[in-house]
Amino acid sequence: MTIKYASLDWKLILAAVFLTLIGIVMIMSAQHNASSEYQQNYYLRQLTWFAIAFFIFTIIIHIPPKLFDLLAYIIYGFSILLLILVLFVGTAKMGALRWFSFGPINFAPSDLAKIALLFALSRFLAYTKLPVASKRRMAISSFLVALPVMLILKQPDLGTSLVFLVMLFVLWFWSGLSPFYLLLIVSPIISLITATHWLSWSIYFVLLFILLITVKPGLLFGVVTVITNLALGAVMPFLWNGLATYQKLRILTFLDPGRDPRGAGYQIIQSKIAIGSGGFFGKGLLNGSQTRLDFLPEPHTDFIFSVLGEEFGLFGALIILFLFGFIFYRAIRIATHCRSKFSSLLVMGAAGIIMFQFIVNIGMTLGFMPVTGLPLPFVSYGGTSLVLFWSLIGFMVAAEARWQEY
Amino acid sequence: MNQFKLSLEYREKISYIFLVLLFFALLIGLFKLQIVEHAQLAKQSENNRIRVVTILPRRGIVTDRNGQTIIDNRPSYTVSIVYAEIVKGMTIENLSELISLDTTQIRKRIKRNMVSRYQPTPIKRDIPFEIVAILEEQYKKFPGVVYQMERVRQYNRLLGAETYTGYVGEVSEKELENIDSYELHLGSIVGKKGIEKKYDEILRGREGTKYIEITASGQLLGEYADKSKKPAEPGANITLSIDNDLQIVCTQALDTFCCGAIVAMDPRNGEILAMTSYPGYDANIFSSVIPESLWNEIRNDTTHPLLNRPLKGLYPPGSTVKFVGIGAGLEEGLITPNSKFKPCLGGYQLGNRFFRCWKPSGHGSLNAASTLEQSCDVYMYQLGLKLGIDKLSEYYRGCGFGIKTDVDLPQESFGLNPNTTYYDKRYGKRKWTIGLVLNNSIGQGELLVTPLQLARFFCGIANNGVVYKPHIVKKIKYYDQQEIIIKPEVAFTLPFSQSTMNVLYEGLTKVVQGEHGTAKRLKNKYYSVGGKTGTAENPHGENHSWFAAVAPLENPEIIVVAIVENAGHGSDVAAPLVGQIIRSYMSKKLEILTSTLESDTVKVVVSGDSL
Repeated sequence: MTIKYASLDWKLILAAVFLTLIGIVMIMSAQHNASSEYQQNYYLRQLTWFAIAFFIFTIIIHIPPKLFDLLAYIIYGFSILLLILVLFVGTAKMGALRWFSFGPINFAPSDLAKIALLFALSRFLAYTKLPVASKRRMAISSFLVALPVMLILKQPDLGTSLVFLVMLFVLWFWSGLSPFYLLLIVSPIISLITATHWLSWSIYFVLLFILLITVKPGLLFGVVTVITNLALGAVMPFLWNGLATYQKLRILTFLDPGRDPRGAGYQIIQSKIAIGSGGFFGKGLLNGSQTRLDFLPEPHTDFIFSVLGEEFGLFGALIILFLFGFIFYRAIRIATHCRSKFSSLLVMGAAGIIMFQFIVNIGMTLGFMPVTGLPLPFVSYGGTSLVLFWSLIGFMVAAEARWQEY
Repeated sequence: MNQFKLSLEYREKISYIFLVLLFFALLIGLFKLQIVEHAQLAKQSENNRIRVVTILPRRGIVTDRNGQTIIDNRPSYTVSIVYAEIVKGMTIENLSELISLDTTQIRKRIKRNMVSRYQPTPIKRDIPFEIVAILEEQYKKFPGVVYQMERVRQYNRLLGAETYTGYVGEVSEKELENIDSYELHLGSIVGKKGIEKKYDEILRGREGTKYIEITASGQLLGEYADKSKKPAEPGANITLSIDNDLQIVCTQALDTFCCGAIVAMDPRNGEILAMTSYPGYDANIFSSVIPESLWNEIRNDTTHPLLNRPLKGLYPPGSTVKFVGIGAGLEEGLITPNSKFKPCLGGYQLGNRFFRCWKPSGHGSLNAASTLEQSCDVYMYQLGLKLGIDKLSEYYRGCGFGIKTDVDLPQESFGLNPNTTYYDKRYGKRKWTIGLVLNNSIGQGELLVTPLQLARFFCGIANNGVVYKPHIVKKIKYYDQQEIIIKPEVAFTLPFSQSTMNVLYEGLTKVVQGEHGTAKRLKNKYYSVGGKTGTAENPHGENHSWFAAVAPLENPEIIVVAIVENAGHGSDVAAPLVGQIIRSYMSKKLEILTSTLESDTVKVVVSGDSL
């Protein structure tokens, strides 16, 4: 079980450490003027969590990925059980039921499910002999994802469900499926969105046919794709009515943040004001008026990037972008580099999780994307998610340290 | 199906391309917000936390001629709502409960009074301090609710001075269109009546502005030092010609009656010394939102407390205007001071109608001055017939009846001075009889005057024919200590020669001093009083009782005109009432103790055997 410390990817670890430390400073700033001492001490709690997360990370890098490979399905089954359990004994927070409360500690089983699904999918896709585009291969992997997604949607948590879907696509892609093929799979969703207007829908269908002709996925696949596209576009208004009010509201306010300045749109507007008013160098630590005077909602979790943007400006934002970029670059390199197929998929899936949350969170603060409640990896306040992301880094570092092993 | 299988090398490349594209997109987003839109968003961030608060100026104080307070300011709290910070289902609902004003009312006020989404819109004025304390403690329950200390007008209720103080209230949309002032906005307080309205611009002052830093939940953090504040400019203080002591005497004099009005003036300059309309109302109630029930109570009161009787009350003057007919006769050469008509035997027969004198036993033959002294109607009937309607009306006009007094108060009536044109219009050409002139000659019929018009006329009688414009403001003192003193202005001169004036003045004197004077019981050894009684026939009920007094006769410095509605003869009610007022004024002036006077002068209530 011993590893050589020289073989560890120190630069990757350092990037994640920097991100976490920046996060702790920003949490401190975000809650500096909070009314309770408990909130003011969030950053100290985050520091403690970092210690825990780093400890788990060191354990993980000592475990050979082979062990996860072996235990993948058992871990997967265990996490499904937890997801079912949280529906009955979980704690509600902000309209969503997704936590186990152990005294002061809140544990979200959906975070564990992310890792469990990652193991299960990597294991399945690494060993299956089925051709990449075969229906069975897709059906089985889809089923692995659908089970936790269904449970999470029940809680309800749209953001986390999307993380699972994205993980599936990343792993399909990394196991060899053409991105064009993936495009065809997600085409019904595009059909849904474009169906809001007949013109956009017509243009989309022309493009879809061109894609089908170039990719030539086979007659049956082509027909099914076209039919689902047509059907979804047609039932789009009915589907819309099936959404929960908060989901509708989020989508609507995303499309037009000004429609309800005190609702979800208010958050986006205040976030944009915070980041934009930061300018190039920002207003300085503890000097962000948007943060200090409570205009920014959830400044220590969902909108931590806005705090950074306000107080450290474009300069600070670029540092964050660089650190994340470096992690992704390292992950792609490790996934390409290591010989074990399981490890390669594991690393790529881990990078996919981090990247998706990164895009959605920053996109949200910049007003590109709807408010989904996904925290910024490493930076946002939250113990379990910090442990999750450090575990993902752990898989990357572990895989790199044993890259020669099959 | 292996055409979908991509090589590792290819996959790696696609991943890097995706990564580059992604970061490029995020960079564009950051660049757009932090560089391109930075200036605009930085301004929005400032606007977020800096709230512009208007500093309301102190409204000018109004005092009487001796510096005694008439209108003052007292501190009060006003609750306002900042529209942009309203939380649906919380702010308005919670506030509604707290200040017991229903939500639709609050919404209506926001809609009506909002200047900007980010500025406080006043909802309710003059709220008790306990409510302010609740707002302060539980500010989280009331997002967007702010309160301000404001000064509220305080009117000295004891004075009964509403007839000239008026009151203030929130500016109406109609007023906003008419008043040409950039400083006024919905929710501003402006004068609605009286001095408050007439001198509104002077009293109001100018608003200032300051900048206050707030949190998202609306908690005030204090003044924002980076922006300079513009202080408010207080309104000017106004000194009135009113004498508060006399005013109180006048108001209390009417206390025992249903309704009436009193005007006291200085004939030497037209200054109004006291003016009261009874019953009055409490001008303080307009400082906050008036409850509907109270408003209805005032409006439906049959005694019309809101009617400004001295300026808007229209009454037949009765015998008080007999001076005009006699003056006209003398001027026109129809009579001499000593010529006499057919003796009064208690009435006068004209055609098939019999016109009564007020004294059924008759006055016998009287000259001009004695006619005034005893107020004989028969003499006046015969003189009226000689003068004719138009000549008499012309002289009434010359004495200021049917013409506004141009007093420096808003909303004044013309009165009514009928002539043949008027009668032709009213009854049709030639559809009326010459008998109407008989009524006009004794101040009855269609002739209508306001108490202030009558007071102005008696100023002329007292001041040897020179009539000053009635005015109430004596001095305006601006906040920069600059002073404006209002100078008396001659309005017109009575259309009578000196010799005519002498006869009229003799008559005025004899009414009190003469043996047969209708108000002889006002005679006393301490000071000399003259006057004229009047009984205005009222088709709707009891007669209105008039009395006009001038004192002291050697050098008149006060005239008092009083009308007591539905109270009977002038000599019975109004004369003793005015006598009280004159006595109070003169005793203060002569420094004679009221108690000394009390025992020596006439009893106030006398049985009515004369007019």
